Amino acid sequence: MTALDPVRDVAAPKQRTDWGAVRAIMRRDLAAVTRSKAVMLPMLLVPLLMLVLLPMSVALAANGSALDVTKILNMLPGRLAEPISLVPNNEQLIILVLGYLVAPLFLIVPLMVSAVLAGDAFAGEKERKTLESLLHLPIRDRDLYIGKLLVSFIPSVAVSWLGYLLFCVVANASAWPVMHRAFMPTRLWAVVILWIAPAVAAVGLGIMVRVSIRANNTQEAQQLGGAVVLPLVVLAVAQTTALMLSGIRLTFLAGCAIWVVAIWLNVRGARAFTRDRMAARL
Amino acid sequence: MGERDLVIDCEALTRSFPAGVALDALTLDARPGEVLALLGPNGAGKTTTMRLLNGVLLPDSGRASVLGLDPWTQGEELRRRTGVLTENAGLDERFTALENLEFVGRLRGMTEQAARKRGMDLLERFDMGHRADVRVQGFSTGQRKRIALARALLHDPELLFLDEPTSGLDPAATRDVVDLIGSLAADHGRTVVLCTHFLGEAGKLASRMAVLFRGVLHAFGTPGDLAAELWSRFEVRLDLGAPAAPPLIAALTSLPHVHEAVATERGAIVFTSARDDVPSVVAACVRERSTVFGVDPRDPNLEDVYFALEAQAARSRSTPAPDLVGAFSAEVPS
Repeated sequence: MTALDPVRDVAAPKQRTDWGAVRAIMRRDLAAVTRSKAVMLPMLLVPLLMLVLLPMSVALAANGSALDVTKILNMLPGRLAEPISLVPNNEQLIILVLGYLVAPLFLIVPLMVSAVLAGDAFAGEKERKTLESLLHLPIRDRDLYIGKLLVSFIPSVAVSWLGYLLFCVVANASAWPVMHRAFMPTRLWAVVILWIAPAVAAVGLGIMVRVSIRANNTQEAQQLGGAVVLPLVVLAVAQTTALMLSGIRLTFLAGCAIWVVAIWLNVRGARAFTRDRMAARL
Repeated sequence: MGERDLVIDCEALTRSFPAGVALDALTLDARPGEVLALLGPNGAGKTTTMRLLNGVLLPDSGRASVLGLDPWTQGEELRRRTGVLTENAGLDERFTALENLEFVGRLRGMTEQAARKRGMDLLERFDMGHRADVRVQGFSTGQRKRIALARALLHDPELLFLDEPTSGLDPAATRDVVDLIGSLAADHGRTVVLCTHFLGEAGKLASRMAVLFRGVLHAFGTPGDLAAELWSRFEVRLDLGAPAAPPLIAALTSLPHVHEAVATERGAIVFTSARDDVPSVVAACVRERSTVFGVDPRDPNLEDVYFALEAQAARSRSTPAPDLVGAFSAEVPS
């Protein structure tokens, strides 16, 4: 630099991603997460509750044959109730709850896991007072961002997918006395798990990154993040059931919309994630 | 020394935050193998200077060249060649001492084996080898500081930024670290920027010092240069065993370059222009048949300089700038 000009807008020349640095960040953060009970417990407990205990209790209720889902079906518009009405009466509860109603709730898993991990990865550095020494290392802002993003995104998708496998096993085993067949996975669930769950995780990340840059610690980040994420969860749960009952195509399109939001949030997050901005808040 | 030879060369570096100006038009330089001390109280702008020069913060205005690189467009390249010890050790408590070093080694492009070996060597050097595989959680401040110092030296950097390197260390560890910093500069030609509150440490290590108060550089140079700027008179204390007699005071005052001579309980204090005037002062005492038991030419030490500068800075803060006074009085009806 030769002139005494403001330099805030000076941009470094575009360079390729340093995957070695990204991997080093990911390895370190993953190892740290596995050693932290405060991070691991919610990541394991919520999926366990939703993906194991819930299907087991629904299957037990269906075995008792005491519950009649006709009243619920009567409340739905005819077109939406059709997929449930077509199955035998004793299977209706299981198909309605495990086939349709649980799926939107299931989306809480990637959202929650990504929020917990992103809070730890971004705001946690401030809380542990490790951020400044990290910023003094020779890693580009973008590579640091990618490393932190992936270390939150990949485990949240992995937990969702593995959790779904577990859910399938538990649901099929618990419902076997009623269904006499393996009814999971379904094509509709495949869309939710493979397409919508990663998009939801990415939305959670996009929000948490922005929040974490402002927050001083993980707790503050999660509180702020929760204030933004919870209304979205309620909205998603309300809408996804109806979408799923409307068919695969609409569910897929809903996933596309969530991906658009996720990409927009993360591109903005990447722009906001600068060394200068982070150092200025130390 | 030409600009090209300077390790750090910055001019009019300014940075402000929402709370106010953190650094205002800082101009300084550092030479190869030099220990440059940044002195000042909390909030003086020392850490901001360090962050700016290592390309972590962007300036509002100004220019800088560090190791011949632009810190703000060549930050990654620069940070490969610098080592930083932050005021807070910044170690991840979930990892062991060695794992903390290995992670940094990997980010600095070292292989896992090389990072492990170098990390272990440095931990041994700082007497932390026996705790290499213990999680950092529960370590004392001094132990953390030593690990963080090992981390800063992991890649053998050309330029070291050390923010309060001895705070929290016991006296033996402090002496060890001070000796190490001195050796890095003197024996290995490394340049060290030392941010510190400890004037004794700075006085022992630094060849030049920059004194900052509230983001403004108040003085920059060797302690001797700064003292010469602050004080035009050189103080010599004479031990004569008894108060100097009036004829001796008169004889001393009549000497060229002697500004003032004052009798004290055990002799006199003589204010001359420079150290070179001391022999003529002693000769005058001998001529006047006074017995000279001792001569103490008092070179101002770093503490004298620092506190004089601090007082000067406080005075300049409490005195409004003349144009401001004029502007204010013009608005107030008389």
